[in-house]
Amino acid sequence: MITLSYFPGCSLTSSSSFYDRSLRRVLAFYEVGLRELEDWSCCGAAAAPAMRQELSDVLNARNIAIAEKSGLHLLAPCSACYARTRASALKIAGDRSTRDMVNEALSPMSVKGSLEVRNIIETFLQYVGVEKIAASVAYGIGSMRVVPYYGCLLTRIMGAPSSDDVEDPSGMDVLLDALGAVVVPWQFKTECCGAGSTATDRDRTTRLSGRIMAMAKKAGANAVVTTCPLCQLNLDLTTHARGDLAGIPVLFLTEVFELALFGSTPDSKHHLISMADIEGSVEILGGDSA
Amino acid sequence: MPLPSFLDEIETRSGVTVSVCYQCCRCTNGCPVAGEMEIVPHRVIGYILSGEREKVLASTSPWKCLQCATCSLRCPNGIDVARVFETLRQISLASGFAAKNDVAHFDDLIIDSVQRHGRFAELETIMRYRLSKGQFMKDAAMGLDMLRKGRIGLSSHNIRGRKELGAIIRRMRGHRDR
Repeated sequence: MITLSYFPGCSLTSSSSFYDRSLRRVLAFYEVGLRELEDWSCCGAAAAPAMRQELSDVLNARNIAIAEKSGLHLLAPCSACYARTRASALKIAGDRSTRDMVNEALSPMSVKGSLEVRNIIETFLQYVGVEKIAASVAYGIGSMRVVPYYGCLLTRIMGAPSSDDVEDPSGMDVLLDALGAVVVPWQFKTECCGAGSTATDRDRTTRLSGRIMAMAKKAGANAVVTTCPLCQLNLDLTTHARGDLAGIPVLFLTEVFELALFGSTPDSKHHLISMADIEGSVEILGGDSA
Repeated sequence: MPLPSFLDEIETRSGVTVSVCYQCCRCTNGCPVAGEMEIVPHRVIGYILSGEREKVLASTSPWKCLQCATCSLRCPNGIDVARVFETLRQISLASGFAAKNDVAHFDDLIIDSVQRHGRFAELETIMRYRLSKGQFMKDAAMGLDMLRKGRIGLSSHNIRGRKELGAIIRRMRGHRDR
């Protein structure tokens, strides 16, 4: 079976550590091995490049150098980590002066930029496969009417080809459909949640994330599904400002996998918007239905 | 006075060819925060073309940008507008225009954390930000709920290579182009 290098990133070791646990449980079920990057560091997110582009490239080059030594493809479930690592790898591979600059800064570490970086949707599609996923479903989640929310950074890495449509991605739709959820069409798949503004301007993330949650409600969904820890947190936090939007939990994609594979997830208590109704609606499928 | 070299400065630093803009406004139309900007995206590009350096750098527009890159994606001339806004932040920091900006301040604290620990320490960074702003009770209810549900990383992990990485970051921050 396949083994991937794994870059959890800062969010998955702190505010979204339950996403890390969920992801590990699901990938272990499919026998996808994860080897966590030895002593990885922060990708610098949006803060480093706003200060200085070279700083962003050096921060990412450090993780890329560690990953390249393993020869494995890298899984980065956080959208910021994925986008920054991937963009830097391509730049290091294609631009001599960037490659020289990061190698000089990080010496004796050495980096080529040859690393293949995958997000969690690509990981499921490429290393597990839709047929295997559909065949592994043990619990009925047909009462879930979900809107897949991709956020901005997952498909939009300037200068890097996207594995999905940039305006209307469908990779997560395909996975959710295979798991047995009802995928509700909507227009806000890639609208911005407000990103890192929560600390500096909470009203702004409330407004932007609130708009997305209101659209999910209008579309008739009873759950939003995402893969990005910052998107999940921003949408989840709307519960503190928008009482009218109560009742639509924001699940990580891997949590939907857990519901369909195992019938429940042990970490649902970490959701700010309760997912109890969703969990309660999961049905045990008959023994002969695969 | 308008400085014609502003366009060169932006194009050289960002690697983006801004001069192909024909002001179609698609960047502004797709921008989720255009309504909050003193100068909307296509006008920022327009002012870069006409060399209005100070007007652009002194505005809050570069700091309102979320870097969602919808503008870059939709530009019919392939201008990476988000990259231009990121470059404006860098220049505005280096030229002292962003001294009191909250976003720049918070970014600085994030990089501080990475310099010290190798990673972003959530609680420590947010507390430092709140203390520096004197916002002791801001968003307290939200913070308590997050604590209760385990949604704030309380401890900070120190990576083994933090000294080496910290030295690199310190050096790069010191050379902030002027």
